[in-house]
Amino acid sequence: MMDNKYLQKMIWFFLLAAAWELIALSGWFSPLIFPSVETILRTLYSSIISGELLQQVIFSLSLISQGLIISLLLAFIMSLLSLTSNTIAGLIDTLVAMAHPLPGIALMPLVLIWFGAGRSAIIIIIVHSVIWPLVLNLITGFRSIPQIYRLVGKNYGLNTVEIMWNIMAPASLPYFLAGFKIGWARAWRALISAEMLFGAAGSFGGLGWYIFKKRVFFDIPGVFAGIVVIIIIGVLVEDLIFDKIEKMTVKKWGMQT
Amino acid sequence: MSCFLELKDVSKSYKIEKDELSVLNDININVCKGELLTIVGPSGCGKSTLLALLAGFLEPDTGNIIKDGQSLTGPDVDRIMIFQNFEQLFPWKTVLANVVFPLKAKKIGDSMRERIDIAQKCLRKVQLEEFINYYPHQLSGGMKQRVALARALVATPEILLMDEPFGSLDSQTRDLLQDMLLKIWQEQDITIVFVTHDIREAIVLSDRIIVIDKETGSIKKIINNKLTRPRNRLGEEFSNLYQQIYELL
Repeated sequence: MMDNKYLQKMIWFFLLAAAWELIALSGWFSPLIFPSVETILRTLYSSIISGELLQQVIFSLSLISQGLIISLLLAFIMSLLSLTSNTIAGLIDTLVAMAHPLPGIALMPLVLIWFGAGRSAIIIIIVHSVIWPLVLNLITGFRSIPQIYRLVGKNYGLNTVEIMWNIMAPASLPYFLAGFKIGWARAWRALISAEMLFGAAGSFGGLGWYIFKKRVFFDIPGVFAGIVVIIIIGVLVEDLIFDKIEKMTVKKWGMQT
Repeated sequence: MSCFLELKDVSKSYKIEKDELSVLNDININVCKGELLTIVGPSGCGKSTLLALLAGFLEPDTGNIIKDGQSLTGPDVDRIMIFQNFEQLFPWKTVLANVVFPLKAKKIGDSMRERIDIAQKCLRKVQLEEFINYYPHQLSGGMKQRVALARALVATPEILLMDEPFGSLDSQTRDLLQDMLLKIWQEQDITIVFVTHDIREAIVLSDRIIVIDKETGSIKKIINNKLTRPRNRLGEEFSNLYQQIYELL
């Protein structure tokens, strides 16, 4: 009936907002803890206009980008190293097995003591959240490249570097994207919780800190405004960026795993 | 008979845990320039190993493989392998980009425009000029093998090594592709070593047929195929030759 999944999502979204509004208007809960959609939107609007929310968003996004770039570099180095020798592969497999199930939040007290409560501490938590699923997927991706691609590459006279760049990289892209998607989602969660715990470095503390601060002042519409922004960014990245990249690459190539 | 490609006392065995499994034993073959040679044998007789040795993917335990008086080492573009596996095309490249790939790798052609022209010419030979912008996953098996053939031809190899390339196709498509391959082979000066377990295919294509024995991993018989081309797949001589090879296997 409804082919367009965006349209369907929008319709559900408006129905849920309407239900929320009805509950808020019914007066069952105090408007202090259950603000109406209108109040939330007005708070959101004034936070955006004042520039405060935008600055927090930029702060958060800049932190997560730094974390993601560092994780990407490290993950590539680690997975390439694990291809070169079985000993290193064993070490990296062990590291992944130990660190992958460990939630970033469990490391926070330690990171706080070792590195203090600054930007670097948050980035460390992000890197920890992203790197293990990424390494896991990259190694699986490299290992599952059909032997025949490499034979064809050798047959047409490619050297090792050319085989890596022209064959291994595109052939492992579906695994890389899958790993990066998981990594992004985990990084986003880790970022918000780390910001709440570590607080502001200077005047900025990111979206997590923004929500935390609003709660301290019992500004519940403000808390919701922060949550709405977190949801919007999450959806945008997932549905626009990742979906687009997949449609342009692995889906078009019929390579989706 | 001038000898172009020569296998001299070639043997190859695989190590499986502690056992040594001998697959090829004392193989001696002379391939003439421009010849279409087929190798038949039951599965597991080592015929694919033989091609991998010729391609340079494997090295013989003993013996030599000599081309034009030179011992072969490692894979090179003078010998291009076409596999049975449809996955030999790169799924992230269009049909055209797959065929341009060897030209880029070998740095043939001065501009991208020129490379595309060369690639399109080859794709016309395999009748895929209308599909150049398709991705491999959008093609049928027969079309994929034709792209693989075009990709091999643009690299202008001296020798085509074909490892049961039509083995996974239905019989009509197989017949069509055999005729297409013959036409291309007759138009240009190329040597083909074609491995198959399909006796009919071997008879339709070859100048000579080499039958490999599975038990010993050695050559059982070399048959000169003197049927006049184009060959009638239903003729009496065809059936007689079929019978003769069938009894050898």
